[in-house]
Amino acid sequence: MLWNSVYNEFIKITAKPRSYLGLLAITVLVGVILFALKVDGQSMIAFVTSSFEQTLSFQGTLLNGNLVAFIVLQMLIIHIPLLVALVTGDLVSGEAASGTIRMLLTKPISRTQLLLSKFIAGAVYTLCLIIWLGILAVIVGKVLFGNGDLMVLNSDGLVILQEQDVNWRYAGGFAVAFLALLTVSTLSICLSCFSNNSIGPIVVTMAIIILFTIIGTLDVKLFDAIRPYLFTTHMASWRSFFEEPLPLKEIIKSLIILLAHQVILIGLALYHFNKKDITT
Amino acid sequence: MISRLITLILLGCLPVFAAAQDATAILEQMMAKWNRVKDYAVQVNIKSEIPLIKSFPVKATIYFKQKDQFKMLSKGIAILPKQNFNELPKFLRDKNSYTALITGTEVVQTQKTTVLTVLPTDDSGDLVLLKLWIDPKTDLLLKSQSTTRSNGTISAIYEYGSQTTFGLPDKMIFTVEVKKFKIPKGLATDINRTSSSDTGKPSPKNGKITITFADYQLNKGIKDEVFRN
Amino acid sequence: MSDKIIEVQQLAKRFGSFEAVKDVNFTVYKGDVFGFLGPNGAGKSTSIRCLLSLIKPDRGEIKIYGQTLAANRSQILARTGSIIEKPDFYKYLSAYQNLAIFSRISGATASAKEIYQMLDFVGLAGREKDKVAGFSHGMKQRLGIAQTLLHKPDLIILDEPTTGLDPQGIIDIRNLILRLRDEQGKTVVLSSHLLAEMELIANRMVIINKGKTVVEGEVSKLLSSDDLVVQLEIDKVESAKNYLKNHLPQLEIIDSTATHLELAITKSMLPELNKSLVQQGFSIYAIESKRKLEDYFIKMLKADVVE
Repeated sequence: MLWNSVYNEFIKITAKPRSYLGLLAITVLVGVILFALKVDGQSMIAFVTSSFEQTLSFQGTLLNGNLVAFIVLQMLIIHIPLLVALVTGDLVSGEAASGTIRMLLTKPISRTQLLLSKFIAGAVYTLCLIIWLGILAVIVGKVLFGNGDLMVLNSDGLVILQEQDVNWRYAGGFAVAFLALLTVSTLSICLSCFSNNSIGPIVVTMAIIILFTIIGTLDVKLFDAIRPYLFTTHMASWRSFFEEPLPLKEIIKSLIILLAHQVILIGLALYHFNKKDITT
Repeated sequence: MISRLITLILLGCLPVFAAAQDATAILEQMMAKWNRVKDYAVQVNIKSEIPLIKSFPVKATIYFKQKDQFKMLSKGIAILPKQNFNELPKFLRDKNSYTALITGTEVVQTQKTTVLTVLPTDDSGDLVLLKLWIDPKTDLLLKSQSTTRSNGTISAIYEYGSQTTFGLPDKMIFTVEVKKFKIPKGLATDINRTSSSDTGKPSPKNGKITITFADYQLNKGIKDEVFRN
Repeated sequence: MSDKIIEVQQLAKRFGSFEAVKDVNFTVYKGDVFGFLGPNGAGKSTSIRCLLSLIKPDRGEIKIYGQTLAANRSQILARTGSIIEKPDFYKYLSAYQNLAIFSRISGATASAKEIYQMLDFVGLAGREKDKVAGFSHGMKQRLGIAQTLLHKPDLIILDEPTTGLDPQGIIDIRNLILRLRDEQGKTVVLSSHLLAEMELIANRMVIINKGKTVVEGEVSKLLSSDDLVVQLEIDKVESAKNYLKNHLPQLEIIDSTATHLELAITKSMLPELNKSLVQQGFSIYAIESKRKLEDYFIKMLKADVVE
């Protein structure tokens, strides 16, 4: 019955206009970025390499599809969580608000199965968003700008990755980005279990992300102890795939922390959802 | 009295004139080799070891055609010194733009070389000083050092093998001065940073770029279209 | 005695400091149309939600089909259909899609043909592909009945199923319930404020008040006491009142209008009443037994308050 319920959730998600907002928003945003880079991408690169170009000269196609995809990811990955939460934050609380949760929970399906089906559907929706982002950023980017080596600016310097060495990094990067967004999805569904209105969990999810991001970026010793364990700290772990050498330990650590968050959030949601009295 | 004085002065300047004339001759002999090449295409491998930049060796093809047409085609991103290696021959061909003097001898790569100091005549130009270490026996340039206002000092070591006759190197090793590069913060914020960023390590001041040349195709005739963008 | 379908014993539930249900007990037998009555705030909805595992009771035991609800929830709910308050659907989906969704998690997925047949059965033929957002209240109620019956449950629990329906809709629901019992042998638990409707269809009932069971039993037996309330359509109402006060003081005059007189009377006294009024020259146009269950209900609640 779990998979029947998952199928039901897909039907509900695909029938809601809100679900397409995220895909549309990504399309428009990526389109704007690609257009801007096509028109004036060289000056952006000049800004990045200006410090180096006093002594050095960069030959080759710097502005190419790989760099464009990186820039798109860099700019949008902060905003995608809202698009995820917009749909997943509504999965439980929206049904409570409309009364359909009452109808569902008088059926033989267990509460655990019902909630897990929502987590699975939320995960698939998140995956669709990230795949769409990948198609637009990487594939459309390469069609418009061609292929080439990827020049990445990190806080410890410039990394130039060879063209043939980039695709697997994108695959890994997107996989980690998906896991990070999955944590957002899980958080919003968990919060959704505690609320009977649609908007609350979405707003609280974003508030948590913003708060944790601020804590993560403030250079304050007080926060050093907790910073490694905030999930927002690891939301940018996808960038680790574009360092050389690959910081495998850091990546694995990020994966563990993100997975741990999901386990805890799912556990908390299941516990509360199973205990909850349905009075709406 | 006056005539003796003039004679003394002229005799005193003789070594200088002689040195200048020798330096010019040495340069001309060196460039005579270069001038035997009407055009060439060569496969290069560029390896950059620059502080704060991590990169892999890049393969490219260089095209050259007299007098100063130069083109590099690389699939990847190559890092070269700001003053690329075509600048030197181009500068030296214009004899009116500099004064060259022999300023000593030095052993470079186990070879005794004549050290030439080349001073640009244009005080307002970017190039401030050029030093060349030339093997007088082979007329090959073994080392160069250029100092510019904008780029600091760039040194180059030249190694020869297959194209000694034409003065074309098999390897060039550039050493560039690296000022403390500044990373634009807005683009490089590491939000996955888990601790404070300052490592306290001093950053190196020089970087190295090694260019290896192979498979020269000399004087085969290269069309002008190749050099157009 | 028929099989016990539902057994509820010492059910209790507290929300914070408020005790919604204190001690509710009742039994529903196979084939019953069981009336679940009580004033607002009596604990009816809470009790019904406990039956359907929407609320976890603090104390007490619920057995359905002889099985403990807590341990056999899935099996029990697979054989149970329900509407709690108003049926809520996914407004952005069609009637068909809504039924399909609920069917998939009901233990036995209905085929497309069965869904179409059910929609036809509840009078929604031709509306299968219409979005529920455009449905009237009555249509949603019908759709609610459809989703209740689609998986062919043995037990149907309806909480206020006639709320918001027009008179024809109420009649339709009544007839449907009777058909379900008589033709399909289903057991129906029905909570409603329409006591007249209850009286017509329920064979057993429980009245609860302030979270406790007040009385439970067969409707016919509970209401079979000799006490009646009758309404007479009579000429000269005032004269009749005076006469009755003087000559039949044991009768209680409950109410009167210009043409009608309402009396509390024992069944055995009815012939004497009729005879004496006629002999006195009064014209009696109609004698009607009125608001039996309603009066019984109010009487029981008053008794519970006194106790």
